[in-house]
Amino acid sequence: MAPAKILIIDDDPDIVEAMKVVLESKQYHVSIAENGQKGLEKVKSQKPDLIILDVMMETNDKGFEVSREIKSDAAYKDIPILMLTAIKEKTGLDFKKEAGDESWLPVDDYLDKPLKPDELIAKVGALLKK
Amino acid sequence: MGELKTSRLSERNVVEGGLVERLYWLIKLRWIAFAGLFLTVFFVDKFVGISLKTYPLYAAAIFLGIYNLSFRVFLYFLEKKKSAAVPKINNFLTNFQISLDLIFLAILLHFSGGAENPFIFYFIFHMIIASILLSRRASFWQATFAIFLFLSIVIFEYRKILPHHCLKGFVGQSLHDNLLYVAGVSFVFITTLYIAVYMATSISRRLKKREKSLREANELLEANDRIKSEYVLRVTHDIKGHLSAIQGCIEPVTGGITGPLNEKQRDLLQRADMRTGKLMFFVKALLEVTRIKLSRQIKVEYFSFGEMVKEAVANIQSKARDKNLSVKLTIDPGVDKARGAREYIQETISNILANAVKYTPRNGRIDVNVGDKGNSIITRIEDTGIGIPKDELPKVFDEFYRASNAKGVETDGTGLGLSIAKQVIARHDGKIWVESEEGRGTTFFIVLPK
Repeated sequence: MAPAKILIIDDDPDIVEAMKVVLESKQYHVSIAENGQKGLEKVKSQKPDLIILDVMMETNDKGFEVSREIKSDAAYKDIPILMLTAIKEKTGLDFKKEAGDESWLPVDDYLDKPLKPDELIAKVGALLKK
Repeated sequence: MGELKTSRLSERNVVEGGLVERLYWLIKLRWIAFAGLFLTVFFVDKFVGISLKTYPLYAAAIFLGIYNLSFRVFLYFLEKKKSAAVPKINNFLTNFQISLDLIFLAILLHFSGGAENPFIFYFIFHMIIASILLSRRASFWQATFAIFLFLSIVIFEYRKILPHHCLKGFVGQSLHDNLLYVAGVSFVFITTLYIAVYMATSISRRLKKREKSLREANELLEANDRIKSEYVLRVTHDIKGHLSAIQGCIEPVTGGITGPLNEKQRDLLQRADMRTGKLMFFVKALLEVTRIKLSRQIKVEYFSFGEMVKEAVANIQSKARDKNLSVKLTIDPGVDKARGAREYIQETISNILANAVKYTPRNGRIDVNVGDKGNSIITRIEDTGIGIPKDELPKVFDEFYRASNAKGVETDGTGLGLSIAKQVIARHDGKIWVESEEGRGTTFFIVLPK
């Protein structure tokens, strides 16, 4: 079986590099988009198996916009999205409850920043198994 | 979770609040007048040899009581409505009430001797009250109205249009038809009232001006503080972004993902990671306190207060067990739902509990008590810890302040936990305070309205 393709959409190059190292250690194939626009293009051209999406690119909620766009397209809506966020402490919202409620937050799971390598690997693994 | 309601807590229009308070003051004064009138009439009637028509006077006193009560009830409903028109209505109400009081006093005087009665000078009190509560112009109108009422009584009694009720025993003979007396008293009365209003309004004008400039200065301070907070928010947010990246880069390395490390490499990297973590903790606390400060609104919901405290206590149990601390939680059966920002309140309580664990030596005790006080819930968190030096007690809720003896127990600490707690509780119109004896223990009290 070919290694799973993971697309990281995040505008912080250092965090992206760290994630790439972690994911590649597990033999995933990682590609990168540094903004939402390029991310959407790569989703279409590469058809990744999983998308890791930072919620706070450019603007505070650009990530939401991107995820909504992907999830509203029948061709791509089955690609799992893992949202990177530091939003919990800002809004007091419990993402565990919100994730899965598609009308509110159209992503499959979320991951709090700062990232823990073990957590990242565990969540990515779980989402790919689905 | 979808039906989180947003509400504005603890934001009250200063001006409006002041006026309402003054209306309450007026009502309170009227109760005093009510009691004073009853007692005076009773005393004069029974013990002083003055002939007095008591029935109309008692009737007037009862009338005063009834109309004061109606005002009180009206004010209650007015406050409940909280409409934007309240200040305007209040101003009208104040004018109306003072005028009504003047009429009331005039009637009272008519039945107790008219110009013979030295209580005519009680009109001065109304003038002073008017000068404090109303504009200068309105105060002069009130004075004019009082003079009109007074002259009406005097002239009508003089012309025998109204009957005269003589205060026999107090004055030798009726004075109402003595032109010189009546004219003299009227002159003094008129000048006294106008001069009183002039003086009182001069003073209250100056006070109002000062109050206004103080308020403006305060607003400016608040605006500046806001700008500062916004700056802090931006900077800490940036710092947090960098820290997050640093942690993200270090952890794969210390975790061995990039290959094996030798002992020294791992040790140094772990030190760097730990320090970054501490810095992150500090930055997050700072972000939080700043955000609460800047947020005009916080999200509130109904939640079970007891459950919330139980969770907070459960979260510290393992750390308490490590130090062999006994943690006891008692919750009054009357404690039920409370309205507020659950997460923030829980964090406040968790913060204080964490402090209790941190600063209580081994084998100590922590008692948490949640009590019902009708309209509010009181939470008491008591420990047998190192305590807080007495002269430092007022400062523990200040930003970045850490008690001198706390630094000896725990070198790291942001000094922000209690500051956040204070902000959160203030946002809920609650109260938080601390009692402590150094070396014996500390007790925190939190009172929150339901």
